[in-house]
Amino acid sequence: MGILKVDRLAVLLASAALATAPLLFDNTYAIGVLTVALCFGMWSASWDFMSGLTGRENFGHSLFIGAGAYTAGFLNVQFGLSPWWSLAAAPVCAVLFSLVIGIPTLRLKGPYFALAMLSGAAVMQNLTIIFSKYTGGQDGLNGLDPMLDSPLAYYYLVLIFLIVSTIILKVVANSTWGTILRAIRGDEASCQACGINVNFYKIASLMISAAFAGLGGALYAHYQLQVGPDLFAIVLSINIIIMVYVGGLGSIYGPVGGAILLNVLTESLRAFSEYRLWVYTLVLIFILFFMPQGLIAPLWRRIRSFVA
Amino acid sequence: MTTLLEVYGLNKRFGGLHAVRDVSFTLQTGSITGVLGPNGAGKTTMFNLLTGFIAFDTGTINFDGQPLVRLAPHRIVNRGLARTFQLARPFVGMSVLENVEVACLAPRVRAEGKAASRAQALLDQVGLGEKSHQLVDVLSYGDLRRLEIARALATHPKLLLLDEPFAGLGAAEIQPLADLIRALHRSEGTTILIIEHKLSELMQLVQGVIAMDFGEIVAIGSPPEIVRNPRVVEAYIGKEDFDAPGLAIRGDGVGAT
Repeated sequence: MGILKVDRLAVLLASAALATAPLLFDNTYAIGVLTVALCFGMWSASWDFMSGLTGRENFGHSLFIGAGAYTAGFLNVQFGLSPWWSLAAAPVCAVLFSLVIGIPTLRLKGPYFALAMLSGAAVMQNLTIIFSKYTGGQDGLNGLDPMLDSPLAYYYLVLIFLIVSTIILKVVANSTWGTILRAIRGDEASCQACGINVNFYKIASLMISAAFAGLGGALYAHYQLQVGPDLFAIVLSINIIIMVYVGGLGSIYGPVGGAILLNVLTESLRAFSEYRLWVYTLVLIFILFFMPQGLIAPLWRRIRSFVA
Repeated sequence: MTTLLEVYGLNKRFGGLHAVRDVSFTLQTGSITGVLGPNGAGKTTMFNLLTGFIAFDTGTINFDGQPLVRLAPHRIVNRGLARTFQLARPFVGMSVLENVEVACLAPRVRAEGKAASRAQALLDQVGLGEKSHQLVDVLSYGDLRRLEIARALATHPKLLLLDEPFAGLGAAEIQPLADLIRALHRSEGTTILIIEHKLSELMQLVQGVIAMDFGEIVAIGSPPEIVRNPRVVEAYIGKEDFDAPGLAIRGDGVGAT
């Protein structure tokens, strides 16, 4: 079997597994957990596309998620637009935020981009509280309309978006674009000496990353039917970074697996009640200590070299 | 012969240090010229000014009939002025082939064919063809130099600036690399400007030499003229070993980092 055939088969198998998963549990709670896991998958893959490939760490991915989710909230709750509009408007809004942060900071060397993302998310979290008249403050915006009435149907909608997004990001990452982004990670000055407009590629890849994060934010908002300031929280950004590292940095599909794995793990550790965070942290330390390259992507590479 | 590069009154200060002072020279199309000078003479700074990595204070640079005014480094490369670095700067974590592919994606040469096949041809040309699928991380120092040259050639430069291509190389690696540079100059007609400490290698390779000291050009001339020039001799004596007689001034270890 050729490499490509193996990869296509893996995409089919993974998609089939995710499509059957909610049928095994058949209760609304489990379907909800899985829907959230898929949203995290989109956020992790989009983080990986920019930061995993170029090596410019983004510590405020929640800025794009929150921007997308609040766009959905505003359009649906304040302006009464159909929830389907969110799917187009949320990515656009997130991309605008990526330009505001990316254009001034990605040209500079040093930690400015990472810090600007971190503080951008923190500022937005506070602004949602300050302008509580419009944003609902701590309570956020409530009463968003669901896109589809059945939770199971909505799960499948999110799944389709996740699969298509992951394939798009992976195809671009495997193209000459990805080669240039990885070269930027290697050495920016050398990249310029190769005649590559480094700033253009960094800003454009952040825009792509933001678009998919914002889309994931809107999908999440129409699952929760509520958006709140916590969507801008730093802890959300940090969790996404952890999921990317557990999945395998720079592989796009690995972070999706990492996100689903850690979300499901969190749920299945409920049996440990108050020791849950302990166990979760121990598992994380174990994975990152013994598998610094991550779990999902290196595992798949090994299986693939065995099969192909 | 036409003039390819014209530098007039180039100046750069870093605080109190006048790193490049009133540098003026011209390069003819198809020439191969050396830049000679002790450490700190401003040679690499001059390269950085020419290639846009550092902005110059005053002066003019005309390249291929057009002025280079505050252009970003990648734009200068796409005008046809490429460089290598004193310290090889590969894209770590990528294969040798991918390293050259990146340069094949520069807008100037993007339309010239598939990046991968062009990159492979360039690697064959510099003698790295068989190592194209290795990670750059395992290449020897000499191979990294060849990789840098392949990357620079990928952008089809009219003028190629080589910053100490022989630094850190053993005697066995120097001769083949010098042969490669000579062959590139002959077959492609690329105009070449080389910074080099190793005087004997430089003198065999170049037609003309620009000698620098303390940021200034102290002499321009043919290799035999330069080694007899009292200001050049003065600049070298007391700073580096001066091997008896003639050409063999040694700079080993001085600029070899």
